[in-house]
Amino acid sequence: MAAHMASTQKITTSSTAEYFSKNLQQVGFSSHTKAVLTTLKEAVDNALDACEENDILPEIRIEIEKLGAGSMKNAEQIRICVVDNGPGIDPDDVPKVFGEYLASSKFGRGRCTRGQQGIGISAATTWAQLTGGKGALIITKQKGMRKALKARVEVDIKNNKGTMKDKDMIDWDRPNGTSVEFIIDGRIQLNGEAGLMNYLLGTSLVNPHLTLHYKLPDPEIPETTIERVSKDFPKIPEAVEPHPHTMKLGEFIAHSHLFGKVKTSNWLGKGFSRVGPSVIQELIKTAGVKKAIFEKNVDQLDEAEFKSLYTGLQNLPLMAPSTSSVLSIGEESLSKSIQRLGAVDYFSVVTRKPTICDFKPVEVEVAIARLQVKTVEQDTPVQVLRFANRVPLQFDKSACAIYNSLTTVNWKAYGLVQPKESLPQGPYIVAVSVVSPFIKFKNASKETIDSSDELVEEIRRALMQAGQKLSKHIRREDKANELEEKIRHIEQFGPILVEGICRITKANDTRKEKARLGLMKLLGRDAQEAEKDLESASEKLEAHLVKTKKSETVEEVEA
Amino acid sequence: MASKSSVAADIPKLSKELCLRLLGDLEKAKRPVIYATKCSLDNAMYNPKVGYLTPGDKKVATELNVSSVKKMSRTIFMLEIILGNLETGAVNTKRELYYISKGYIKHDPKLKPLDFADQNESDDIIDFICEMLEVYREEINCYANDRGGQTYSQQLIVTETMVDGTKATIDLSKLGTSPFQPKNRPQNLKLSARKKIDFCLIVESEGTANTLVANGFTKRNNCILMGAQGVPSNAVRGWSKLIQDQLECPIYFFGDLDAYTMQNIFRTLKAGSAASLIRNEDYSAPEVRFLGVLPDDIKKYDLLDYPVKENDAQEARALKKAGDVLKNDPFFMDKKNKGLADILKWLQVNKRRCEQQSYFTVNPKDPTMPEKIIIDKIKRGHYV
Ligand SMILES: Nc1ncnc2c1ncn2[C@@H]1O[C@H](COP(=O)(O)OP(=O)(O)OP(=O)(O)O)[C@@H](O)[C@H]1O
Ligand SMILES: [Mg+2]
Repeated sequence: MAAHMASTQKITTSSTAEYFSKNLQQVGFSSHTKAVLTTLKEAVDNALDACEENDILPEIRIEIEKLGAGSMKNAEQIRICVVDNGPGIDPDDVPKVFGEYLASSKFGRGRCTRGQQGIGISAATTWAQLTGGKGALIITKQKGMRKALKARVEVDIKNNKGTMKDKDMIDWDRPNGTSVEFIIDGRIQLNGEAGLMNYLLGTSLVNPHLTLHYKLPDPEIPETTIERVSKDFPKIPEAVEPHPHTMKLGEFIAHSHLFGKVKTSNWLGKGFSRVGPSVIQELIKTAGVKKAIFEKNVDQLDEAEFKSLYTGLQNLPLMAPSTSSVLSIGEESLSKSIQRLGAVDYFSVVTRKPTICDFKPVEVEVAIARLQVKTVEQDTPVQVLRFANRVPLQFDKSACAIYNSLTTVNWKAYGLVQPKESLPQGPYIVAVSVVSPFIKFKNASKETIDSSDELVEEIRRALMQAGQKLSKHIRREDKANELEEKIRHIEQFGPILVEGICRITKANDTRKEKARLGLMKLLGRDAQEAEKDLESASEKLEAHLVKTKKSETVEEVEA
Repeated sequence: MASKSSVAADIPKLSKELCLRLLGDLEKAKRPVIYATKCSLDNAMYNPKVGYLTPGDKKVATELNVSSVKKMSRTIFMLEIILGNLETGAVNTKRELYYISKGYIKHDPKLKPLDFADQNESDDIIDFICEMLEVYREEINCYANDRGGQTYSQQLIVTETMVDGTKATIDLSKLGTSPFQPKNRPQNLKLSARKKIDFCLIVESEGTANTLVANGFTKRNNCILMGAQGVPSNAVRGWSKLIQDQLECPIYFFGDLDAYTMQNIFRTLKAGSAASLIRNEDYSAPEVRFLGVLPDDIKKYDLLDYPVKENDAQEARALKKAGDVLKNDPFFMDKKNKGLADILKWLQVNKRRCEQQSYFTVNPKDPTMPEKIIIDKIKRGHYV
């Protein structure tokens, strides 16, 4: 996307920083509350990515503090600090990482990493610099370094360059890791969909291998540690090249800029999924692309030549890309992780097989938890946690593929309450994770997954499977309620019935008592019957759970 | 019938017997079952010698269990209210009973679980009590509105025995243009005639009955003339039965020629209905004949008839139902009523209707023309 922007909007590298500093609202700094969340998110994403790439089980510490009034109206000065146990950053790279836009080790590689563009953390630095005047305060240490580097990084906006200030080498009590601190203008929102708690909850859910410590500026919330529930870190699969059918012409051309001086046939073969020599032959034979084009260097092609290549490729029935590039959290880890969300009555998790949607490999996972605390009003919608490549999405939900899937599933079939074309209701958390090396977002702030029909259908299937699993629990609960209702019935109507009959027959107290006991015995038998029913339902459920626990590798039955 | 009115006194006994059975079962921790007559067409029998629809053997069994304990408790509760009414002679409508039950519940919080959410719920319980005891709603002192049945005659004398045993005599010839209005418990009435009554005519439309009287019908004929006002109420049905039994005069029905009148008005008058199987005996007059309008009349008198309009929902529905009725209703299926079934078939095939007022078209200058046709038809025996 960044590359796309660079080509079509003709932003030169030197003015990139200028462009973004003027358009920070586009990358997650459109409001005070969002600014806090985005800054935190960028730092945590980077920490998690770095740990994963270096086979380190992440342990992250988050500190958020209010320092006083901000420089802007209605804003507070907020300190955000994220410390990780990752590999650390080469001191030479520190100004680049935090002060230069489009400097990324992950850019355009087609992997399921959280970061993709090389914009995130530099945008946070810019925001801190613009509102707090100080940029980013970094401490970082790589394995083998005796001391850690401590420095302030600022963005040289005119030249898209990072500059280091107050550089110092200090003792740091850990072998490796990075600490990132920003002082920014913002506002703290703890609860609700766009709240910090939702972010922390979501992040721990989709990262079972993460140990998270956090300290928030709220006296009600004590310093908390959420321990990891899994020691396997997700293996990020090898990168996959983009599939030509997923690109627009502009993106296609921009893609070539990454390769520079290579032969066009080489660019096509290396740069794309499912474009081999036979495809090139086809292009010449059936699409009528001139053979000479393939011999030219790709940086020599003119727009007409790109266009003929592009349309030729679009018209060929290419094989769908391989799905080996996607990653999943897994049902077992999700099952453990979901129980960290709080007191959970029951839950269901579904990991779909990787599949292709719109020529992109995707993997969808769903976790639904029924919360024990029934303080939630019955008619409040379920709490939705959306994830794209394991990053929580907290804004602009209404156009999102996940939201569209959620509202078009018939949840009533699984025993949930659902107003027409809306989210289901009740004390549930519904988490949906979409993982793909090529997630298409609606906007640059990466909050809304593009709602293509194929993706929506795939998410719906995952939701329906999870709903089916969940309904077993709900039905059991309904049975229990029914039993309760029956027992209440007996207690309420039994005495009234006997009293009435005895008044009409003018029966004495001895007969009345005998009849009362007889009635209780009768109805009690009914209740026992119901209880037996309930027990057998529970047993079946138990058996089902044991089976699902064993079956993380067993494939799901198609819905 | 006199025998029925004495049954009313048995209701407390019947109820007590039922409750004793329930009590005995409960004491033994045995599941009591209440049986009620199934009141629907699939349990309706028709014997031409009896002349009205009677209940078959089908019963609806309500067994006491956790699900039915609420209904049973409500039934016993309502039964107690009704028994109280029977004891004091108080009468109520269904709606009043609904409010009375609410009153008891309001004053005794222990009864709260019985509370009726709306009148439908209490109505169902009242109907259930009738089916369980096999009694009429009127017998448990629960009356509906008296509707229809306005009666005119120069010969008829009605003697009513009041609750306190005193008697009242109504001479219908002394009422001028006012009709006599029968109550829906006609069993307390005794009929006599100052002069032999030749026939009784029941007219579907109250208004037309009125017109005939105003034009001198009852002056010129020794008869009883009654307006039915649509589907006959219990009052009209019981009153017709009383006239049939006590005066032994022929009874004719004069109404529209259409499927609704045939199935819903005339059939109910003559043989009762499936919903009231247990009380058809006293609430139907099997001797009543269908005088018209007959399909033949249309040609004979050149009557103004017309095709059934699509927006005439009531008649369209009745026509649709006619096929079903001809196949499943034991009344129309019986040989004895073939003439009536033929009329239904004729209606089904021709999809036309002819209203009773069409007799006024025959000679617009002569206001007594309808009367002349009616008398002519009676004389010639032109009825079904
Ligand atoms: N905590 C960290 N530990 C180790 N390396 C880091 C850390 N934070 C950032 N990096 C390195 O700095 C690079 C730039 O980070 P940045 O957030 O700007 O881009 P990104 O994460 O690749 O993409 P995005 O803009 O989508 O976040 C990363 O690609 C990574 O190599
Ligand atoms: Mg990043």
